[in-house]
Amino acid sequence: MGGVLTATLPDVDSVMDPESRAWVAALAGQGGDREAALDRLHALLLRAARFELGRRRGQLAGLSAAERHDLATQAADDAMMGVLARLDDFRGLSRFTTWAYKFALLEAATKARRMAWRDRELPRPPEDWLAMADPDGRPEAAAEHAELLAALRAAVAEVLTPQQREVLLTVVAGRVPLDVLAERRGTTRGALYKTIHDARRKLRAHLAEAGLLAGEEVRPR
Amino acid sequence: MSRAENQVDGLLGPEEPEVGCDDCFAALDRYVELELAGEDPDAHLPGVRAHLAGCLACREEHESLLALVADERG
Repeated sequence: MGGVLTATLPDVDSVMDPESRAWVAALAGQGGDREAALDRLHALLLRAARFELGRRRGQLAGLSAAERHDLATQAADDAMMGVLARLDDFRGLSRFTTWAYKFALLEAATKARRMAWRDRELPRPPEDWLAMADPDGRPEAAAEHAELLAALRAAVAEVLTPQQREVLLTVVAGRVPLDVLAERRGTTRGALYKTIHDARRKLRAHLAEAGLLAGEEVRPR
Repeated sequence: MSRAENQVDGLLGPEEPEVGCDDCFAALDRYVELELAGEDPDAHLPGVRAHLAGCLACREEHESLLALVADERG
């Protein structure tokens, strides 16, 4: 994982569109032009943060309008810091506004997930996490997967480290958002995802060796 | 898809090589614009699609960015 993109990124400063170039010049400049650009940037980020919170209305049903406003403002403020700190990273591979929006969406989504879980204990996956009754599934489909499920359950217990097992089950079986688990553990989303990624590779390799993953190559470990 | 199948997919993740969350975030704006332009973003940014399949948080933010930019462009 990682490094896959490195070789595919051309140096495209020269193809930056005029509007994006104007954004970068104003934000990197000084004086009144910069102040005006900062105001426009904050408004743009606030719009994106509100868009994200609007998509999560159900998740945030307990918040008042004032609390939602504060959350959007905090997300826009933090996104603005991110945009300015990484302005040199913007190469014009997209429009500047698209590049900036993603900072606000990330901040708003992360804050919303954490807000939704703020007073909740993280659930421990039930003992029968992979054998739970499936009211929506067909009995014959469940039977087809019985061997795979049994092997997967055993592999989770035997092949993974305790840390890998806990993170993977908390996120997949417990449905705890990565950002929430990262906050509780004092780490980052990326670091936790790496743990999940490594655990999944181990499980795949184990099941492939047992001939339980159709079409999967058996990779040396 | 049944809940058990969902859990199997969640436990095993994508089969293909994938980028991490940080690389996904770095590529997301270009990925979305390639999608909106009707191009195959995975041809330009290999590993992002697989990551989006495996990471719910990044997938949600991708869906939001795609919706926001598409909405803005009418």
